[in-house]
Amino acid sequence: MRSISRRKPRAHLAGSAVKYLVINIIAILWLIPVYSMIINGFKSDLAVTSTPVLVPPRTPTAGPYLAVVGPLARPILNSLIVAVSGSVIATILGTMGAYFFYSLSTSWRRTLTVLSDAVFAIIAMGTFIPYQSTIIPLTRLIVSLNGLDTFSGLIIAMLVFYVPTAALLMSIFLAVIPRSVVEAARIDSASELKILFRVVLPLAFPGFISTLIFVLIQTWNNFFIPLVLTTTPNMRLVPVAVQAYTGGYGTLYNESFAVAVLGSLVPLVIFIFLGRYFIRGLMALGAGKGV
Amino acid sequence: MRLTNIRVVGVHKAFRKRGKEVNALSDVSLRIGDRESFGILGPSGAGKTTLMRIIAGLEVPTRGDLYFDDELVSSEGRIIVPPQERNIGMVFQTWALYPNMSAYENIAFPLKNAKQKPSEIARKVEEVAETLEITHILDRRPSEISGGQQQRVALARALVKNPSVLLLDEPFSNLDAKVRDSARALVRKIQRDLQITTILVSHDPADIFANAERVGVIFDGKLVQVGSPSEVYSTPVSLGVARLIGDINDFEGEVAGSALSYGGFTIPLERSMNGKVRVGIRPENLRVAQGLIQDEDWLLMGKAVVQVSSYMGGVYKILVASSDHRDAVLSLISERPYQISEEVNVYVRKHGVMVFD
Repeated sequence: MRSISRRKPRAHLAGSAVKYLVINIIAILWLIPVYSMIINGFKSDLAVTSTPVLVPPRTPTAGPYLAVVGPLARPILNSLIVAVSGSVIATILGTMGAYFFYSLSTSWRRTLTVLSDAVFAIIAMGTFIPYQSTIIPLTRLIVSLNGLDTFSGLIIAMLVFYVPTAALLMSIFLAVIPRSVVEAARIDSASELKILFRVVLPLAFPGFISTLIFVLIQTWNNFFIPLVLTTTPNMRLVPVAVQAYTGGYGTLYNESFAVAVLGSLVPLVIFIFLGRYFIRGLMALGAGKGV
Repeated sequence: MRLTNIRVVGVHKAFRKRGKEVNALSDVSLRIGDRESFGILGPSGAGKTTLMRIIAGLEVPTRGDLYFDDELVSSEGRIIVPPQERNIGMVFQTWALYPNMSAYENIAFPLKNAKQKPSEIARKVEEVAETLEITHILDRRPSEISGGQQQRVALARALVKNPSVLLLDEPFSNLDAKVRDSARALVRKIQRDLQITTILVSHDPADIFANAERVGVIFDGKLVQVGSPSEVYSTPVSLGVARLIGDINDFEGEVAGSALSYGGFTIPLERSMNGKVRVGIRPENLRVAQGLIQDEDWLLMGKAVVQVSSYMGGVYKILVASSDHRDAVLSLISERPYQISEEVNVYVRKHGVMVFD
């Protein structure tokens, strides 16, 4: 490294300058919508319609934020209930599913490994189906369970789509844990459940957290399922509540921007606190091991 | 309730690799006696680990049967008694410790699974930890202890449940040379004290010499020789086995009657034959001297020139080439150094020549 930079210090410097320039441009492009979302929430009703979207307010006002924070409290609480419990359940069930497939695929029984591949392919396809296309059977299912406009109905609907997603992701993470540790546990007469929770899960924990975060953000941002499965304003989740600020005849941009900022705070905070696990999980994959 | 023996009968194992059938084991039959310490030696990829995994029940034989005592535990394409019911202790090559548990919890894990009483578990863990001298690191996690200590924890975990068979898969290959000898001695001592049937897989003959009473040599999935380590060392069935179990000079020689010629060397043989043969001579069965050696056991085979003389800690490794044919090279061990280009007499021990057809 050193010898290269000594030989051609200028070329090296120019190379890294270009690299950082590109990275910065991408980061700025990425941040423009966030920036405009934040600043426009501080504009008055007049300013938001009369000033360009990228120009910050001359006299910032907290008015729009204060106006939406009360009405948004209930949807945030609803979303927390549905997204947190939904994603935790989905990730645990998904992990169990992934371990089931792992066990089948490492079995000495040939038929089981073939079965595992076949069922796994079906589940993988399941995660690729756009959920909008299944909305009628899904609604009928939830109605038949008396789950329309209830938390349990919303959670079950989320599970239908996100358990396979979690299983798919977790099976990627399980594939890289050392097989001999699982075999050692088997020789030590541990039950399958114990192998999963005492041996496999601790080894794949960063992957588990990555999956949990991914599913949590997916469920939090899911718009269509709560739109169809909730009927009263009291049961609205955040994405539906945010959308409600877009009126049919005119839109108060400052308030809809403010509501969008508040609505994305929760996943943002979660990501800040658990982000390092997310990265560690992905790194575990790259390094080829789960520890 | 110890086990009397393990019987491997005509075991065959084929793997599927990229659509092709690869034979990992072909027609291996073996009997390992009660309390015996048996070594499986072979180059990497020869199938020795596969054989051990079949014995452990982690792999299924494609054909053939496996008996523990007189109970059929594995048969053609099926595992009848799963690994957890075979009462085996296994030390994996990577040790496979549970990284999230302390050394104590690692060792206690099999006992907890067997639903033993906590007081009983504590007593047994303490006992095995004392034997293996790891009492002081019981509260530490695997990542916080040295490789040698990790290996002892893995061994303790395998031994704590009082298994009928102890399986060791390359247990010393991940240790530094310094710790390796003491680890070998420890395993030998445990094996003797506990009187436990042990199967050790290794590619390193030193492991086999230190720890096995009998050894089976595997080449390309075939069990080619079974015997005591010294027997296999001195009378190997093939040059491959000879090479695997220790250093050897191997070359092609020409026999006419009972004299074997190799380059400018002439080696007297005990039996007479004709034609080209493969010959192996262990370095310790060769000697060089400037003068003559007056000893019935050492036979003069010719003059040679010293090519290399290198110090190996206490002894010198000498490479000599025949005075007449510079490409006829032999390596041997000497107690003293020689000058390069020095001319010496080369002697061979009377029964030290191995001839392979």
